[in-house]
Amino acid sequence: MNTSDYQQEFDKIIARKYFDKTLEKTRKEAFSKFLNLGIPTKKWENWRHTDLSLINKQNFRISEKHDAPNRELNISDYDIKNCYTVVIKNGHYIKNDSSIPKGVKILTNLEYLKQNNWKQKSKKETPFDLLNTSFCDSGLSFIIEPNVKINNPIHILFIYSGNDNLFVNPQINIDISHSSSATFIEQYTAGQTSSFQNTSVFCCVKENATLNHIRIFSSADEAINISSLYTEQAEGSNYEYFQFVNSCVLHRSDIYGKLNGVNSSCSLSGLTLSKDKQHSATYINTDHAKPHCKSSQNFKSILNDMSSGVFNGRTVVQEDSQKTNSRQSNKNLLLSDKALMNSNPQLEIYADDVKCAHGSTTGALDKEALFYMQSRGINKEEASSLLIRGFASELINEVQHEETKKYLLNKFDHWLRYYN
Amino acid sequence: MLEIKNLHVEVENKQILSGINLNVKAGEMHAIMGLNGSGKSTLSNAITGRENYNVTKGDIIYKNQSLLDVEPNERALNGIFMSFQYPTVIPGVNNAYFLRAAVNAKKKYNGEKEYDAASFLKFVKTKLKEVDMDPKYLKRAVNEGFSGGEKKRNEMLQLLCLEPELAILDETDSGLDIDALKIIANGVNKYKNSSRSFLVITHYQRLLKYIEPDVVHVLIDGKIVKTGGKELALKLEEKGYGWLES
Repeated sequence: MNTSDYQQEFDKIIARKYFDKTLEKTRKEAFSKFLNLGIPTKKWENWRHTDLSLINKQNFRISEKHDAPNRELNISDYDIKNCYTVVIKNGHYIKNDSSIPKGVKILTNLEYLKQNNWKQKSKKETPFDLLNTSFCDSGLSFIIEPNVKINNPIHILFIYSGNDNLFVNPQINIDISHSSSATFIEQYTAGQTSSFQNTSVFCCVKENATLNHIRIFSSADEAINISSLYTEQAEGSNYEYFQFVNSCVLHRSDIYGKLNGVNSSCSLSGLTLSKDKQHSATYINTDHAKPHCKSSQNFKSILNDMSSGVFNGRTVVQEDSQKTNSRQSNKNLLLSDKALMNSNPQLEIYADDVKCAHGSTTGALDKEALFYMQSRGINKEEASSLLIRGFASELINEVQHEETKKYLLNKFDHWLRYYN
Repeated sequence: MLEIKNLHVEVENKQILSGINLNVKAGEMHAIMGLNGSGKSTLSNAITGRENYNVTKGDIIYKNQSLLDVEPNERALNGIFMSFQYPTVIPGVNNAYFLRAAVNAKKKYNGEKEYDAASFLKFVKTKLKEVDMDPKYLKRAVNEGFSGGEKKRNEMLQLLCLEPELAILDETDSGLDIDALKIIANGVNKYKNSSRSFLVITHYQRLLKYIEPDVVHVLIDGKIVKTGGKELALKLEEKGYGWLES
């Protein structure tokens, strides 16, 4: 995509009659800022390990109304049992395939904006955030009413399929009102085609509320998935996040977590499985804006072939945020000599009474452990599999919803079979 | 059962064993004694086939076949077991799952029916009793958070489950208190029979109070300098190794 390609697609968006004109100014401003910045290059500090030429080399078009299927969808491949499912196909919400529980309000993003007096959520103005603002063409807002406990997860399924390379820019808002709790699973998945998914997600967790948030990036191997996730937490709230990346030629998650109320807790974790020339990068900024909060970052990658990855985890403890308790851990397993991982945990502490720890390890399979297993009669391939599975399952086993855990273990085993 | 002929072993281009000869018959228990650095552990690693222990000369014959080109797991399937001096910690791998994988690998090799999770649990519970081990250790990751003594018990548990014909106990007594030592020794004595052989590698005579070797070898600088009966171990306890070294 070059500048004129983006311009051409942008003109199409602006010309759409069914889009509310109120947002036109915002879109135009964002697009003009994007044009000034352009797609990041490796000279940009936050992008120096990530090659974005894949985006520049290909052409994508925005999703049209006719891209929504009128035949029945087969979503059984992505079916996680005991979940409510919300299906978004090529950017279009498919109401007939979706179900939502009581206590949850689903709004279009426009309705959501109206309800919030047209106040846009504030984003970092990175090129991809600006693209999302300019091109935002889909997405939904979920509001959990106060004092509601929703036991089964709400599974938001983004499916991309078709013969064209689609460029989709969804925005998701999840608001958990005070004293409520819910689990959301976002899953990005695509068929054979290359697609460029550029997502913004906003989670707002109010007083004493809990949000369990799982994101599964299981698109086709050619897919590009870039996303920004913003969370804001009020007093006594709890946010638990797990991301599972097992495909995508290019994946990037930027996570901005803000602990904006005392006694709140933010726990972020993730597992990336990569092969071929795939690249997966996770950039995190956890902001301890209030005292007595807890945060953790626990990320693992398993890299095969010539794949590469980045973990860039930053925790900022602001001046008045005393009694902060924060942990960062990044562990990476390299299954090939040509795989590459960049690990960079960072702490920025301005308060003096805090407990912060960080650590990072990157290495090959433990030879001692392999020999130990072999000396018990287990062959080398099985011993390797056991070790890799052991490495991964420590994180997957933390997933509380049994069916989701099973689903992810199954996906993991599928990936592992490829390794052997 | 095990015949070692003129064995020379190098580790990282350094010669450690220089011409070991050993003949362990079925049902025999041999003790290899020696100071630190004499090559005791190199011998056990060479028998079990650890990487980077290069046999430069000589041979290791087990059940009338050379082991030199045999993969470590195949040596194990064929009945060789080593209780590690420092058992490896394997994070994330459940102890029961690991043990079942090992036992089932052997069952498969022998053409027997493999255990499912339930029948294995039943089987392993009888073995746990023999080494006085709490079943909770099955639920943990292999050796993770185990004390020195618990690790050695876990090694014995594996031995009892895998039923080897040649068991090598590499410094099994180190890190054990006297009660744990007695439990291990008791397990060994019960397990020993006319078709099972032991190679007990130890620095001290302590373990040999509870399990009686048929033959004792003294290893110094990669060579067996003396071979005798169990009284040799007592003599070493009394006099040390100095009198053998000249």
